[in-house]
Amino acid sequence: MSENKVEVRNLTKKFGDLLVLNNASFSIKNGEFVCLVGPTGCGKTTFLNLLVKLLEPTSGEILIDGEPADPKKHNISFVFQEPSAFPWLTVEENIRSGLELKHMSAGVIKERTEEILNMLGLEKVRKSYPHELSASTEQRIVIGRSFALHPDLLLMDEPYAAMDIKVRYFLEDEVIRLWKATGSTVIFITHNIEEAVYLAERCLVMSPKPTTIKSEISIDLPRPRDISSPEFIRLREEITDMIKWW
Amino acid sequence: MKKFSNLIYAVLPVLGVGALIGVWTILSLQEGTLIPTPVETWERFLVIMTDPISKATLPVHVLVSLKRVLSAFGFAIVLGIITGVLFGWYPRVKALLSPIFELLRPIPPIAWIPLLILMFGIGEVPKILLVFIGAFIPIVMNTQSGIESIDPMLIKAGQSFGCNHRQLLFHVALPASTPAILAGIKMALSSGWMCVVAAEMIAAKQGVGFLIVRGQEAGDTALIVSCMLVIGVVSFLLSAILTKLEGVLCPWQFKKTK
Repeated sequence: MSENKVEVRNLTKKFGDLLVLNNASFSIKNGEFVCLVGPTGCGKTTFLNLLVKLLEPTSGEILIDGEPADPKKHNISFVFQEPSAFPWLTVEENIRSGLELKHMSAGVIKERTEEILNMLGLEKVRKSYPHELSASTEQRIVIGRSFALHPDLLLMDEPYAAMDIKVRYFLEDEVIRLWKATGSTVIFITHNIEEAVYLAERCLVMSPKPTTIKSEISIDLPRPRDISSPEFIRLREEITDMIKWW
Repeated sequence: MKKFSNLIYAVLPVLGVGALIGVWTILSLQEGTLIPTPVETWERFLVIMTDPISKATLPVHVLVSLKRVLSAFGFAIVLGIITGVLFGWYPRVKALLSPIFELLRPIPPIAWIPLLILMFGIGEVPKILLVFIGAFIPIVMNTQSGIESIDPMLIKAGQSFGCNHRQLLFHVALPASTPAILAGIKMALSSGWMCVVAAEMIAAKQGVGFLIVRGQEAGDTALIVSCMLVIGVVSFLLSAILTKLEGVLCPWQFKKTK
């Protein structure tokens, strides 16, 4: 396996005359946690849709493990901003559902489900339905369901955008724990710069439309990160300056 | 305060029914009225429970009607869900067949009776077919709208697990539309029950609809009213059974409203 999990080469997407994504190139290493940050409406979602083949690029290519990205072949998992737990399944069944749909063996399903329930601290509500729980818990179920797959690539599209700030810190620590435990490669999209600096090993900064990768910044602060440390604040301000278009 | 409120809600329904019986009694005591008194109706009810009319007691008539409803209902559920899924999940099938359905749908089921009798005589077949028509339509409509109104996030979630179109149908679309399908089945059952009474009123030798017409022919209003009440009670019980079934099949819906 090559060291690069994802290779994006000269990716361009036009909707008619509207150039949304302009010649973007970058790569993501195996097991890396990368945040994509950029101003609202900069084509982040277009990029994700290209990655999971909901859209075809106008030119350029996306490779996963050296092969063209194909959700049927590659184990790609997706967490959306809106919670998407299956309302007719209990917490436990929701976490199992992805594994079952991928026809994993019974042993693996049981082991992974228990692992995730345990890490999320959801054993007590395993028989509850998502509607009985809070919106943030529902999102945690969805995140657990995705990590249970041990995906080659996990795409998270502003998963915490609707959460209040207290819950967010807790969820951000949790996602880091899950990432470390499963060794998945994560692309986390956010417009919250503090969140990006808190989570990422590397931040890719996107420009406003037509989007391209403006810059990338490695962050190797120790975890858990201290959001009030001078180095953290410096990185946050550096990225903020890059994104400012006003 | 809470206790008082509970008491109010226990008393009010009794009060409502009591008022109905009161008004009924007053009307039935008017000079020259055809309306039987509640007592006459009750006594008539007790008589037909044991004394056969047309070789059958009341419970047998009810069972005859129920048998017609349930045998048609089985077909209506299976074919209705299949048709609804085809319409809701496969746009091309919908484009091809739904104009026919839309054309036939607004025809009241009882308007089929003359044609069905001419084609199939007055045996069981036309009655079962009529109930089928009455029950099939709401099941198709609810299944279709249930599938068409699924939260797109759930479809996306299924797709992100690499589900193909068929897996999406069975693992996402169908479970997500179960509540809508069950609502359609509930409507279908009451519609089917109405249809069987209508069919029996026109041509039958047994069944509750037949009993009502017998009452009309004999000028026996107590028989008519007691049969009408029996029809209401049976319909109420059927719907209560389905509500219970809903709780078993969709526990998540019930906990949601709790």
